[in-house]
Amino acid sequence: MNYHVELRGIVKRFPGVLANDHVDLAVKCGEIRALVGENGAGKSTLMNIIYGLYQPDEGTIYLNGQPLSFSSPLDSIAAGIGMVHQHFMLFPSLTVTENVIYGSEPTHRTLIDRKMGKQRVLELSEAYNLQVDPDRKVSELPVGVQQRVEILKALYRKADLLILDEPTAVLTPQEKDGLFDILRRLVSEGKTIIFITHKLQEVMEISDIATVLRGGKVTANLRTADTSPEEICSHMVGREVLLRVEKKPSQPTETVLTVEDLSVNDQRGVPVLQNASLSVRAGEIVGIAGVAGNGQEGLIQALSGLIKPKTGRIRLSGKDITNTSVAERRAKGMSYIPEDRTGLGLALDTSIIDNLSLGFQREHSSSFGFLRLGLLRERTVNAVQDFGIKTANVEDAVNTLSGGNMQKVVLAREFLHNSPLIIAEQPTRGVDVAAIENIHRNLIAQRDDGHAILLVSADLNEILGLADRIYVIFDGHIVGEMLASEATEYGLGLLMTGVTNEGAKITNIMQGRTNG
Amino acid sequence: MAKTSNEQTENLSESSAQIASPPNWYKIVYGWLRNAQSSVLAIIGGLLIGALIIALTGENPILGYSELFQGAFSRFNIPSTLNRAAPIVGAALAVSIAFRAGLINLGVEGQLVFGGLTASLVAVTLPAPDYLRLPIALLAGILAGGLYALLSAWFQFRFGVPILISSLLMNYPAIYFASYLVSGPFGEQLSGVAQSPMVPESARLASLVQGSRLNAGAFIILALVFILALVIKRSAAGYELRMRGLNINFARYGGIAVKPLGYKVMLASGMIAGVVGAIEVLGVHYRYIDTALTAPLYAWIGIMAALLSNLNPIGVLLTGLFLSALQTGGYGMERHTDIPRELALVLQAIIIMFVATRGTFRLGTED
Repeated sequence: MNYHVELRGIVKRFPGVLANDHVDLAVKCGEIRALVGENGAGKSTLMNIIYGLYQPDEGTIYLNGQPLSFSSPLDSIAAGIGMVHQHFMLFPSLTVTENVIYGSEPTHRTLIDRKMGKQRVLELSEAYNLQVDPDRKVSELPVGVQQRVEILKALYRKADLLILDEPTAVLTPQEKDGLFDILRRLVSEGKTIIFITHKLQEVMEISDIATVLRGGKVTANLRTADTSPEEICSHMVGREVLLRVEKKPSQPTETVLTVEDLSVNDQRGVPVLQNASLSVRAGEIVGIAGVAGNGQEGLIQALSGLIKPKTGRIRLSGKDITNTSVAERRAKGMSYIPEDRTGLGLALDTSIIDNLSLGFQREHSSSFGFLRLGLLRERTVNAVQDFGIKTANVEDAVNTLSGGNMQKVVLAREFLHNSPLIIAEQPTRGVDVAAIENIHRNLIAQRDDGHAILLVSADLNEILGLADRIYVIFDGHIVGEMLASEATEYGLGLLMTGVTNEGAKITNIMQGRTNG
Repeated sequence: MAKTSNEQTENLSESSAQIASPPNWYKIVYGWLRNAQSSVLAIIGGLLIGALIIALTGENPILGYSELFQGAFSRFNIPSTLNRAAPIVGAALAVSIAFRAGLINLGVEGQLVFGGLTASLVAVTLPAPDYLRLPIALLAGILAGGLYALLSAWFQFRFGVPILISSLLMNYPAIYFASYLVSGPFGEQLSGVAQSPMVPESARLASLVQGSRLNAGAFIILALVFILALVIKRSAAGYELRMRGLNINFARYGGIAVKPLGYKVMLASGMIAGVVGAIEVLGVHYRYIDTALTAPLYAWIGIMAALLSNLNPIGVLLTGLFLSALQTGGYGMERHTDIPRELALVLQAIIIMFVATRGTFRLGTED
C-alpha cells in the first residue's frame, strides 16, 4: 500500500499518563483525515509525535514507506511535514512575506532577497487561492487570514503533509467555509491533510476518513461516507465510567445565581457567548457540559468579574452584580476555583499560608491593619489536615507541591470563604485519580451544606457523576438543559458536538422547579 | 497489625506536630542564611575575582583589601561610610517596596531630586515660625517625591506606558528642571555656582558627629527600614502588595484592586525617595546643589542594594552599608596603595553580575 504517513504501535508516556497506547494510523496520499476525540484523548500528542516535537517511547513512523525518526520539527519540516498549531506561531509586527520566509530566506549575495521572497509568496498564494497580501503586517490581518499565512509557511517549506490542530476553533463560520475550500484545493493538488477537531459536522463535511481516539487508543476508523455523526460520537464517549461518586439526591432551595441573556465578547471583540441564561439554586450542583472553547471561558470570566459582559444581567442572591468588582462579588458571596490554577488560582513562589490567606487578609487583621499571623497559620494547618494536602511545612512554597495538592490548596481556600455560590472550573483537570476522588467528595459535601455550585467541565464523566442538573454549551450558546438523571453520555455528546439540538431529552426545568 | 497501626498513628501525630509547631529559632536563622546565601556567595565571588585583578596589576590584594576595609570602617572613616549609606539605603527602600509590588520604579533618582529641590525651596522661602520650618520642609520634600512618582504610575495605568519606561524617562525633566531653577530664578546670586541659597539654621537636620556630615536623617532612614519590614511582612496592605508583585492575576482574582494599589505603592515609593532627597539637602549640603544628588548615583546604587538584598528591607540595611563601604573604602585604598578606587566600582559590578546568576549560583544545587 502506498501510505503517505503510517504510524505503527506508537506509545507515548508522560509521568502518570499513558497519552498514546499502541496507536496505528495510516493515511494515504491526497486524503483528508479527521482525528477526533475528547480532551485528553491523545490527539495532540500523536500529532506532535509526527511533527517531531515529541519522541515516541515505542513504535515506528513511516513516511512514504521509509521508517524515520525525527529529533526535532526541523527534521519533519525537511521531510515535508507542516503543522498549523492552534495558537499561531507568527510575528505580529512583521509582514506576511517576512513571516513566511523566516528561517529559509531566499538570498542574493548573502543578503535577503525580499523581491524574490515576495514573488514566491504571491505565486503560492495564487496557486492555492489563499488571497493573502504579502506586504500586509500580520497584526493587521483577521484570524482567518493569519491561519492562511501559517498554511503559506508550510507550503513555502514544500510541505506535502499538513497537520492542522483544531483549525476551526478560532474561526467564524464564513472563515471556516473559506478554510475548507482551501483544504479541498490543497488535496486536489496532491497534498495530504490531517486535522484535529471536536466538531462532528466538520468531520462529515470535509474528511474522507475519521479516526477516533479515546483514552490514548484508536477506537474506530470510519469512512465518512458510510458513517453518521451519531456513530462517531458513540466511539468517542462510549466507555465505562471510571469513577462513581456516591451522593444523595439533591434538595435545592432558593435560587442563588441567575444569569439572563448574557453575551460576552473576547478581547478581539469576537462574540464567545451569546444570550446565555441559566440559574443555580442552593443545594445543587449545576454542570456546564461542553467541549473546551465553546464559550465556557467567557461565561466564567463574566461571572467572576474578570471581564465585563456585553449585554445581559447577573444576579447573586437577588442582587445585581453585573457591573461590580471582583472584591464586591466575593464579599456578596462568590467563590471561584479557576481552571488556570497556576496562573490565576495561586501565587506559586510563596507559602501555602499566603496562598490560603487570599481574601482573608483584611478580615484576619488587627485594627491597626496587621495580619494575625498566628490565626492565619492555624487556619492553614487545619486546612492542610482537613483537605489532605501533602506537605511537610505550611511555610513551603506552593510550587513544591504536586498538581493535585496545589488544586487542594485552591479548593480549601475557596471553600473556607463559605460563599453561597461556588464556581468550579475544570476542578480535576490534570489531577491524579486519588485527588480527583477527594475533590469530588468535597464538592458534594459543599452541596449538601447548602452551597450552590456551578461546575464547568469538559469531562462528561465528571458532569454526569457530580451534577444534578446540566446545561450543554456549544458554539457560544446554551443548547440544552436537562436533569442529570435523565441525561446520557450519548445524548450529551451529540449536543456538545453540535450534531443536534434534540438528541437528548430536554426537560422543562421550570416544571421541575415548581415541583421542587 | 496492632503494632503497625500504632506506628502509623505515631507517624501521623509526629508529622502534624511538625506542621503545627511554630518556627523555632534555628529554623529562622537557617531561613535567613538560605535567603542570604546567594548574596553572600556573590560578594565572596566578587572579592575573589577582584583579588585576581589586583594581583594582575602587580599589587598585593591582601594589602589592597585591608586598606579598603580601613578606608571604610576605621574610627575616622565610619561616619562618612554611614553618611553615604543613608541615601543608598533610603533609595533601596523606595526601590524595594515598588519592585515587591511588581512596579519597576526606575525613577527614584528624579523623585529624589524633586524631593530635595522642593525641600530647599520651601525651607528658604517659607514664611513660618522657626520650629515649623524643618518639619514642613521635610514634608514638602516627601510629598513632592510622592506626587512625582504618582505621575509615572498615571502614565502606566491611564496610557499604558510601562512604568519601567515612564519612571526612567521622568528622571530627566526633574534633574534638568532643578538644574534650571538653581542656575537661574532660584539660584544663589553672586556665587556663580548652580546652587540654591543656604537653608536657614532652623531648617537643618542636626549633625551627629562633629566634623562629619552624618546627621539625624540617618535615624529617619533607619526607622523607615523597620517600618517597611513590618508593613511588607506583617500587614494586610503588605500582603496585598506582595501578592500583586508575585502574581498580579492572582491578586486581581482574589479581589485585590490592583490599580489603586499600584498608585498607592508608587506614591509611597516616591515619598521615600523624596525624604532621601530632603535629608540630603537639609542635613548634608544645607542647600540644593546642582548634580550633588545625582553624581554619587545614590538611586542607582540603591537599585543594586535592593536587588542584592532580594528586596528585603532589613537586608537593604546590610547591602546598602556594604556598597557604601566599598565606595568610601575605595578612596582609602587609593590613598594608601597604587590601586585606583575605580577598582571598587569594578568589584561592585562583578558582585551584581554574580547576583544576577541567583538561583543557579547556589550551594547544593545539583544541576
